[in-house]
Amino acid sequence: MPTDPGARRAEGAAVPALALRGVSKRYGATTALEGIDLEIAEGEIMGLLGHNGAGKTTLMSLVAGLLRPDTGKIEIHGVPTDRDPRRARRDLGLAPQELGVYPPLTVRQNLRFCAELAGLRGQRARVRAEEVAEPFGLTALLDRRVSGLSGGEQRRVHTAMALLHRPKLVLLDEPTAGVDVETRARLIAYVKELADDGTAVCYSTHYLPEVEALEASVAVLDHGRLIARGTLPELVRSHADSAVELTFHGGVPPLHLPWPVTHDEDGVLRVHVEQPQLATADVLAALGESARLLVNMRVVQPSLESAFLRLTGSGAPDRRPPASPAPSPVPSPAPSAPRTAAPAPGAPANTAPARGARAIGGPDEPPGEDDHGPLARDLEAEQHG
Amino acid sequence: MGDGSLGRIAALVRQDCRLLVRDPAPLIIRTVMPLLIMSFMQPLFRAALRADDVRDANGAEQSVPGMAVMFLFFLVNVVGFAMFREHGWNTWDRLRVSPARPFELVTGRLVVPLVVALVQLTVFFGAGGTLFGLRVRGSYLALAVVGVPLAACVVMVGMALVALCRSIAQLSVIANLLALLFAGLGGALTPQSVLPDWVRPLAPGVPSYWAMRGFSTVILDGGGMGAVLLPAGVLCAFTAGFTVLTLVFFRTGHRKLSWS
Repeated sequence: MPTDPGARRAEGAAVPALALRGVSKRYGATTALEGIDLEIAEGEIMGLLGHNGAGKTTLMSLVAGLLRPDTGKIEIHGVPTDRDPRRARRDLGLAPQELGVYPPLTVRQNLRFCAELAGLRGQRARVRAEEVAEPFGLTALLDRRVSGLSGGEQRRVHTAMALLHRPKLVLLDEPTAGVDVETRARLIAYVKELADDGTAVCYSTHYLPEVEALEASVAVLDHGRLIARGTLPELVRSHADSAVELTFHGGVPPLHLPWPVTHDEDGVLRVHVEQPQLATADVLAALGESARLLVNMRVVQPSLESAFLRLTGSGAPDRRPPASPAPSPVPSPAPSAPRTAAPAPGAPANTAPARGARAIGGPDEPPGEDDHGPLARDLEAEQHG
Repeated sequence: MGDGSLGRIAALVRQDCRLLVRDPAPLIIRTVMPLLIMSFMQPLFRAALRADDVRDANGAEQSVPGMAVMFLFFLVNVVGFAMFREHGWNTWDRLRVSPARPFELVTGRLVVPLVVALVQLTVFFGAGGTLFGLRVRGSYLALAVVGVPLAACVVMVGMALVALCRSIAQLSVIANLLALLFAGLGGALTPQSVLPDWVRPLAPGVPSYWAMRGFSTVILDGGGMGAVLLPAGVLCAFTAGFTVLTLVFFRTGHRKLSWS
C-alpha cells in the first residue's frame, strides 16, 4: 500500500496519528532537534532517515515521552502530550534502538509481561502473546529463553513486545539493525500489514531499500532539522541526482558542456542531466573530438540514496540548476551548500556505500540524559575532582 | 487505582517472581548464610548475655535476632538490583512507555523484596527455635509487629538508594556499608551493653537499634504488643523518612548504570 500523506491531507478531515509542531530539543549546547513540524497520517508508514546524530532517536524519544521537548507541541491522535500524556500515549508502541528484553525469561514470558502491563489477563494475555509471536516467526521459540536466541531472534522479540497492546502509532527505531535478510523481509511484511489496518508507523532506518520496500513516505533529518518530507517518488524526482559519468584516457580534457558537471577524485566527470538514459547521445555529441579519449560511460539513475546524499549535503554537484520546489508538506530548505570534489551521488566508487547494502551511517547514539540525583553528582564530582 | 493500576502492579510483581524463580541461588545463600553465622556466634553471645545477668541465656536470644537484622539489611542490594537490571537490560524505557505510572513501577518493584524480607525473618526465627533453642518469652505477634515495619524499612532504604545512586556499584558499596554500620551501632553484632560509651548515644539514630530493642523486649523480657509499640513506631517513622527521600529524589528519567 503506497502511503501518501499529501493525498490523505487533501482529503481533509482526518486527525493525524502524530503531529509535531515547532518541536525543539537541546542537550546543553548541542541542538538535537530544531523547529520540527511533522505529521503522520493513520495508516501511513513514514521512513525516518538521517545520518548518525541527525535526531531520529531524539524525535522518537520525545514522541514516546522519554524526553520532554524544550519548545513545541506533540499531539497523538489529536491529544496533546503535554496536557494528557497518559491518554495521548495509550495507543503508542515503541521499539527502541537498543534491545530491551528480559534475557533470563522465555519469549512467552517476555510477551506475556507486556500483554499483562497493557491490561490483558490470563487466557487473553496468553492468546495475544501467541498472536503476536506468529508473524514474527517466534511461535516455535515461545518456550526458549531469550538469552539463548540469536541476535536477530532477540530483535524480533524486542519488536513484538512493542505491539502486544495493538498500538495505533508505532515507533520503530532501526528495527532491522543486525538482523538477517529473512527477518528483515518478515518485519517489513508485518509493518505493511499494520499500516493496512490503519496503524501509523514511524520507521527509522539506515537501510534505504527498506523504505522502498515499505512504500513509505519519507522524512529526512539533518543536524536536527527536517529538511525534506514527501512521498518516495516525490523526493527522488525533486532531489535525486541523475547523471552520465564519463571516464577519459589521460584525465578529463578541457570541455565546455551545456550541463552542470562535477569531477571526482578518480578523474571521473559527472554530467548532471535530467533523464540520463535519453541524454547519452547528446552528451557524446557535445564531447566533440574529446569523445575519442572516452574509455568508459555510465548512466546514473535517480534513487532515494542519491536524493538522501544530496539533501544531506553528502553529494551535491558544484553547479546545478535550481532544484524544483520541494513536494513536502513541510517547507524543504534548499539543498545544502555545494561541495567541490564531493562523492558522486549514487556512484559505486569508494566514496559511496556499497550497492546492495546501501546503508547510510550506523546505529545512532541514544539520547544522552545526564540528570542524576545529588548523591550521584557528588560522587561524580569526587571521581573527576 | 481504579483504572487497572492494581493489575499493572500485579503484572510487575509476577515478572519479579518469574525472574526470582529463574535464579533463586542468591536468595537461598542469603538465607542459609545467617543460619551458619548464628551457630558460630551463639557461644559468644551466650557469654555476653550471662555477663549481663541473663543467667539462663543460651546465646540464641542475641544471635538469632542480631543476625536476622544484619542480614535483612543486605536485602537492600536486592531492591537495587531489581531496579538497576531494568536499565542494564534496556527494559526501563519500555516500562516508562508502558501504561504503568511511575508509582506503579516503584510499588511493583517493592512487593517481592518485601515478601522476601518477611519470609527470611520467619525462616530465621523459625530456625532459631528449632536449631538453636531460641525461647521467645513474649508474644510471637509482638515479634511480627516489629518485623513487618523492619522489613518495610529495609525495602525503602533500598529504594532511597536507588533514587540517590547512579550506578549499581555505588548502591552496592553503600548498602553493604550501611548494613554493617547499622548492625554495629544497633546492637546486632554485639549486645548493646558492651558497645563503647561514645557509640551508645548514636545507636537510636539507626533503625536496627529499634529492631533489636523490640526483638529483645519480646524474647528476653517477655514483652507483648504494648511493649513493642515504641520500637515499631520508630521503625515506621524511619520507613516514612526513606519513602520521602525516594519521593524527593526518584525520577523515572534518571539514567542508571547497571555496571560501572
